[in-house]
Amino acid sequence: MMKKRSRNTLLLLMLSVMLVLSACGSKGNTTAANTGSNTGSNTGSNTSSGNAPKGGIAVYSVNSDVMTFWDPSDSFSNEIIAMHNMYETLLRYNAQTKTFDKVLAEDYSKSADGLTWTFKLRKGIKFHTGAELSADLVKKSIERTIKRGKGASYIWESVKEINVVDQYTVEFKLKYAEALDNVVSAGYSAFIFDADALDKNGEDWINEGHDVGSGPYTVQKWTKGSDLVLTSYPEYWKGWTPKNFEKVVFKTTPEANTRQQQLEAGEVDITNQLTPEMLKSLDGKPGVQVLKTEAFQNLTLQMNTLKAPFNNPKARQALAYALNYDSIVKDIMGGMAEQSTGYLPKGLWGQDSSLFKYSYNPDKAKELLKEAGVSGGKLSITYLSGDEAERQVAELLKVELAKVGLDLEIKGMTWDAQWDLAKSPDASQRQDLFLLYYWSGYSDPYGYLSIAYKTENPIVYNLGYYSNPKFDSLIDQARKSAGSNRDGATALYKQAQEILINDAPGISIFDLKYGYALRDNFKGFSSNPYYANVVFFYDTYRE
Amino acid sequence: MNSNSLPAPLPPVIEETSAGRAYKLKEFILFLRVHKLAAIGLSIIVILLIIAVIGPLISPYPDDAYKAVHLENKLLPPSWAHLFGTDELGRDLLTRTIYGTRLSFQIGISVILLSILIGIPYGLISGYFGGWVDNVMMRVCEVFLSFPSMLLSISIVALLGPSLNNMMLSIALSWWPWFARLMRSEAVAIKERGFVEAAKSMGVHPLVIIFRHIWPNSLSVIIVQISMAFGSVILTAASLSFLGLGAQPPTPEWGLIISTGRAYFLTNWWYVTFPGVFILLTVMAFNFLGDGLRDYLDPKTRNS
Amino acid sequence: MIRFIIKRLLLGLFVLAGVSVITFTVARVVPSDPAARWVGPRANAEQIAAARIELGLDKPLPQQYITYMKGLFTGDWGTSIRTHQPVLRELLSFLPSSLELILAGMLIAVVIGIPLGVISAVKKDSWIDQLTRTFSVGGVSIPTFWLGLILQLVFFRQLSLFPLGERVSTNTSLLYPIDNWTGFYLLDSLLQGNFDFFKDAALHLVLPALTMAAYPLGLVIRMIRSSMIDVLGEEHIRVLKAYGIPAWRRVFVYGLKNALGPTATSLGLTFAYALTSTFLIEAVFSWPGLGMYASQAILANDYPVTMAITFLVTVTYILINLLVDVVVAMLDPRIKLYQNA
Repeated sequence: MMKKRSRNTLLLLMLSVMLVLSACGSKGNTTAANTGSNTGSNTGSNTSSGNAPKGGIAVYSVNSDVMTFWDPSDSFSNEIIAMHNMYETLLRYNAQTKTFDKVLAEDYSKSADGLTWTFKLRKGIKFHTGAELSADLVKKSIERTIKRGKGASYIWESVKEINVVDQYTVEFKLKYAEALDNVVSAGYSAFIFDADALDKNGEDWINEGHDVGSGPYTVQKWTKGSDLVLTSYPEYWKGWTPKNFEKVVFKTTPEANTRQQQLEAGEVDITNQLTPEMLKSLDGKPGVQVLKTEAFQNLTLQMNTLKAPFNNPKARQALAYALNYDSIVKDIMGGMAEQSTGYLPKGLWGQDSSLFKYSYNPDKAKELLKEAGVSGGKLSITYLSGDEAERQVAELLKVELAKVGLDLEIKGMTWDAQWDLAKSPDASQRQDLFLLYYWSGYSDPYGYLSIAYKTENPIVYNLGYYSNPKFDSLIDQARKSAGSNRDGATALYKQAQEILINDAPGISIFDLKYGYALRDNFKGFSSNPYYANVVFFYDTYRE
Repeated sequence: MNSNSLPAPLPPVIEETSAGRAYKLKEFILFLRVHKLAAIGLSIIVILLIIAVIGPLISPYPDDAYKAVHLENKLLPPSWAHLFGTDELGRDLLTRTIYGTRLSFQIGISVILLSILIGIPYGLISGYFGGWVDNVMMRVCEVFLSFPSMLLSISIVALLGPSLNNMMLSIALSWWPWFARLMRSEAVAIKERGFVEAAKSMGVHPLVIIFRHIWPNSLSVIIVQISMAFGSVILTAASLSFLGLGAQPPTPEWGLIISTGRAYFLTNWWYVTFPGVFILLTVMAFNFLGDGLRDYLDPKTRNS
Repeated sequence: MIRFIIKRLLLGLFVLAGVSVITFTVARVVPSDPAARWVGPRANAEQIAAARIELGLDKPLPQQYITYMKGLFTGDWGTSIRTHQPVLRELLSFLPSSLELILAGMLIAVVIGIPLGVISAVKKDSWIDQLTRTFSVGGVSIPTFWLGLILQLVFFRQLSLFPLGERVSTNTSLLYPIDNWTGFYLLDSLLQGNFDFFKDAALHLVLPALTMAAYPLGLVIRMIRSSMIDVLGEEHIRVLKAYGIPAWRRVFVYGLKNALGPTATSLGLTFAYALTSTFLIEAVFSWPGLGMYASQAILANDYPVTMAITFLVTVTYILINLLVDVVVAMLDPRIKLYQNA
């Protein structure tokens, strides 16, 4: 500690010089204005007494074990809610301004053809390992992620090569003009980390509960199945104010009733994934605030397009008419959802509210089924066991289908089990209908449309086995031009969605809204649909 | 004994006498008079059985069992219209609980039948032939008995996929060894007795001996075992359904209703309460009857 | 005695071999591909093939089985397909939490069950006997998961006496943290003199432990009652009466001593049952233990974990059975062990 302090004094001196030289307050954060140390690239202002986090401990109660994967390259699960506090990306999407905030990158530019992107890195950023952020480590991080091919590494598909221009400049050469700012700000697989330290210490080390990021918090203690405690990293480059939380706890509480109780008792600051009924009963309770926010996630009814009756588009359309959307949104979701328009979630670019929307029309459904020659029979549907919304939608659908003489067998399964079933080699063994939530590895229309409907071999998430070359080429074209011509891409995505609406290989039933319940003195949180369920704790504080 | 992880009691053998049926009936009524708890158990079972059989006739809203939802009636507390309240899809919980009774008896009967069909022949063969056949067969049996039944059931359902039928199959697979072992010890005991020895020496075919002499003589023991097992089977089925491994929605299975109700029960107390009371009553009734029957058929406790 | 133990252990090995073959087969004939699961959804065929070799799945099934069993005895229990963590380490981290719950439940069962059983036996056929017997049958008949929910309704929602679930409240674990020595919260906090933590953990333990206690309680009452009735009717107890030994002494000292054997047997056997009821109770009380871990793993076809859990439970079951028989023999010299085997 002593040694560090003397070095920090020196650094402080250097910092003041730097502050004078460059007004690097690129953050535009109002709270940063009065405390000079909160801006720009300082590395060692923490030990001076006023600038340490003294805000206490923040607790976030979540429904499943936070950490599945510890490797920042492999992460593709719940752990991003903690990882975005341990790791950072070059850019971060700002849901309020609808632009990209610069995080590790100080600035970036793209060439006119959209094929070359150049990122200038902030100087003096330190990873928790002690190493300094450099173009070399950016390149190594991303290349490692691509090479491992896990998680959402496919987001980097457009990248041809990554070049280190100088110590703080990194250049991406693309195969086609993709919107790379979308990619580098992705929620998964876009973390920049100390790849050298990770490779040196190995997989076992990281899996024991370590991190190699540059974020404001670093791992203190991990108790599997119970909680993850992060502690503030003293040398975080944005610096600390007394308001900041010293520690952040992610608490695993699978049972929604218990989470609700923890929040009411003031034991936790924030929780999510409560049922609409619980949110309703919490709303208005003293000390509690309920937030309803947009989420880039929709509930989709996927149909097995290789098997009768849903190999017939008419039968699929009939199903789209058989769903009572208003009732689902109002009675089952308690307003925590909105009927989808098209296949992109509301708030994402490319979403078009002028697209055709199916509505509940049992007569029309009956008629279409008749035209399709379906008069009766047995169908199966699977849903994620434990998911109340999916189960209730399935039950509603069963009642509707019974009216037209179809017997729907409902099965609640684990995700892996229903996924395996949907991929069984024999098409007749697969479920006819599959209820699932779709979201994307990165928030780009291409991600949404391709994940579920683009021709795939072998099948990963296109679980209706839909294949339409025209649709494929439309979204490919849109993706490849999005970096240089956004409007053109938007028009192409609209065309692509029109195909889906008519063909109905799946139905986007509703866009989910996330409900958060938080203590009313927990401030600074705003939900960001790009980063599902993530709370950026550096921005929050307790009043 | 309620758990299928526990060794089943082995009531001593009673010999079939030539006493008439009338005498036996009289004796049974006397037994019920002495064993009040068994009498209570039997009456509860009879009432539940009647409910199960005429369920569709007495349910206030028969459609709510499988075929209807009424979202406008969501989560109503008990009232005259809905004695047990309604669930999150507005269905009448009394109706669903009644249908649940029906289903539980169906599950109990199917599982026990299946276990008997496997276990009894298995035990008879093992016990009758003895020697290395017996040895091998019983070791296999022990492997199944050492396997925690719940774990076995869960693994099997995870393999076959969750459904009512798979669940029943998985429970039967953990129950048959109990019947097999019981039947074997009966067969061994009866085999030694004079009339079987005599039949053997007269060259009667083993199958005839087994089914004419050994099987009828062990009937009473099997009946006790069935009444003990029945409650346990219903309990296991409800537990598996509670874990999402048994009946699937909208099936009105008790355990499944309670499982679904978990998301709502703290603010809607009625949701999980009534189906649970029905499980408790049913299982208790069978245990009372089983205990009583065991005492009744066990001459030692009978005279004390 | 030694011969008996060896014989039983050999039988145990046989059972274990059988159980492991069954589990291995069941776990491995499922339609899902562990290698594909291992590398994640976006892996290509090459990566899956590489993982198959890495996990040894390319070998024939019997060889895989042998490799696996070798590992079991050398401390390598494989790696979880789901979490990529060593299974043994994960199991051991969840085990103390479940054991604490089970032992607390057993303790309640014994403390309440023995006096009730004795009273019931002494006052045979009185109203108090009928009531106790009803209570005892209720204990073994009640669906544990439902009992848990009802306790939550009454003691959490209505009376606000006990917390809804989990092992300790968040505030306590943050403000008064304990070091993880044994994994038993009550023991660790006591050893470390952390009474705030102890109190909170104890409060959290009450409802789950009561739920856990229901079944063994019913069993203990029944066993104590029936063996006390037998014992009290026996010659040597009646002789004691003739000697003028007071009734309470006859019952509690001489009678109970003889009734403890069968009770210990049934308690031991309940232990294995309790291990599986953690599946339900831990789900109801958000109790991070073995049951919760196991049910998640089994449902996700995480076969190394499924195997390990089954192995663990079976071994426990066999050892406890053996232990129970030995203890019973020590308590009651009338039993000769080799006859039992």
